[in-house]
Amino acid sequence: MPTLEIEGRTFEVDEDGFLQDPDLWNEEVAKLFAKTEGIQELTDEHWKVVHYLRNYYLEFNIAPMIRKVCKDTGFKLKKIYELFPSGPAKGACKVAGLPKPTGCV
Amino acid sequence: MIDPMEEKLGQGVQKAPKTKKEKLGAPESRRWPIKSEFTPEMLAEMEKILPSKLNRVVAISLAGCIHCGLCSEACHYTASIPEDKTLLPAYKADRFRKWYKYRFDWAAKVFPSFVGAQPLTKELADDMYDKLWGACTMCRRCTFNCPMGVDYGMLVRAARGIMTQVGRVPKHLQETIDAHYNNGNNMAVPRDEFVETIEWIEEELQSEDGCENFKIPVDKKGAQYFLTLNPREPKYYPLTIQATAKVLNAAGVDFTISSRYWDLTNYAMFSGIDPDAKLFAQWQYEDVLRLECEYLLSGECGHGYRALRWEMPNWLGGVPFKITSMMELMADLIQKGRITLDKSVHAGKRFTYHDSCNIARSGGVLEEPRIIVRAAVDDFVEMEHNREDSFCCGGGGGALAMPEFSERRIRAGKIKAEEIRATSANVVLQSCHNCTDQLKEIVDHYGIKAKVMNLAELVAPALIL
Repeated sequence: MPTLEIEGRTFEVDEDGFLQDPDLWNEEVAKLFAKTEGIQELTDEHWKVVHYLRNYYLEFNIAPMIRKVCKDTGFKLKKIYELFPSGPAKGACKVAGLPKPTGCV
Repeated sequence: MIDPMEEKLGQGVQKAPKTKKEKLGAPESRRWPIKSEFTPEMLAEMEKILPSKLNRVVAISLAGCIHCGLCSEACHYTASIPEDKTLLPAYKADRFRKWYKYRFDWAAKVFPSFVGAQPLTKELADDMYDKLWGACTMCRRCTFNCPMGVDYGMLVRAARGIMTQVGRVPKHLQETIDAHYNNGNNMAVPRDEFVETIEWIEEELQSEDGCENFKIPVDKKGAQYFLTLNPREPKYYPLTIQATAKVLNAAGVDFTISSRYWDLTNYAMFSGIDPDAKLFAQWQYEDVLRLECEYLLSGECGHGYRALRWEMPNWLGGVPFKITSMMELMADLIQKGRITLDKSVHAGKRFTYHDSCNIARSGGVLEEPRIIVRAAVDDFVEMEHNREDSFCCGGGGGALAMPEFSERRIRAGKIKAEEIRATSANVVLQSCHNCTDQLKEIVDHYGIKAKVMNLAELVAPALIL
């Protein structure tokens, strides 16, 4: 199992950097993962998306459609891509500690 | 009796239907058993399966290699990582060929080592797993350079099928197939949420200048074109749907999107399980008939295009409708003058085009993308190797769905990255979602400043409405 070391902490991740055990996630982990995605500081807007993804995943065991993310957070699609430059799947879901989605991502 | 949902959806923009819950996908859910190691029982099972996988193409490809080495320079793995001789196509294919020879080559009965025959041991099987899942994207560039006509793509698919059948398949890849099997699309997008997303994108499209009357009709019976999508579009990247719909509306194309089997992907082509691949094709085939469309229209997607255009008619013994793609349709619309483009939108930027292997080499769509790009931009530069000779980006064959081989995948993308760098392009165009992500990753990894976008995203902003 590959590991990812960020600032002295080690995480078990898959080779695309997604957290292997979603239960290990907390806000500190999110901050560390954000750095690997090139996000130096998580703003309130980032947190709104991250918490939304996290809660949705815990309830439904799957990542929400981008439509739901936009509707429920009130952010425009372009805003989400600005907040997470590597996209909702690879960027936002990874920071929120969700597993790698199935399909072409 | 008219199904109220069908009636509602046929009119285009309507509230999302929430009442009817039709089970899409297979009636019974399944989870493919996945094994982390080859056991003696699995090897014995593979021995039983092998003969069933030997069709003419596979048997000739296994028997035909003369080890001339011409494939060596054709492969993006060897071109990018020349120091690793185990990545040579002939070496990789030999992981399977040695076993085949041990079973079927008469000379191997007398002198096994003389013909390179080996019994199937755990060691050989492990090697086969590593090389044929993790070091081949079935891009077939070596096949084009093979004097014996060895079809590596088909050979690898057969080997993968045998391994998958005994459970030795990369977990994430198989989960993607199971998601498709269980839900009718590979990201488990529910039908009502899909329709809501399309309605939302229609609203977004209508808010663009000059697009107030544009529509994205869902389940419109008798539409000329049945547009299919990659699930990552509705799930995460709907702007490509918006761009595609904008182009089709601007040209006055009569199209529709099904609320049922709109997923054009077919990952079973990568796992080598033909009954799954055929089943997914069958669902879509029936859906095109349900909506009585003249054309099945593949969105921009490499393996999806190949699965629909070239494999579906084989799997199903022919189809009563025509099959085309957005690449071909957009080129046709430009040539017939049904859309006109303003090149100044893209002025000051240089563009190059990456050919997806399944669209170009295995699909024959070579000039259409160039017709589109030349109509939309002034500064277009080809990569050194292009069209059917293009190097794979490294993301094909399901590679993006196998995180255990990600590091090698990025290393194998070096040759493509260097060819992109040499063009000095600001934008890399392509027509495939797998290529999109791989190109974004290698451009970033090898320090190239270039954006990646598909052809609809190129054409949509340049449309003169």
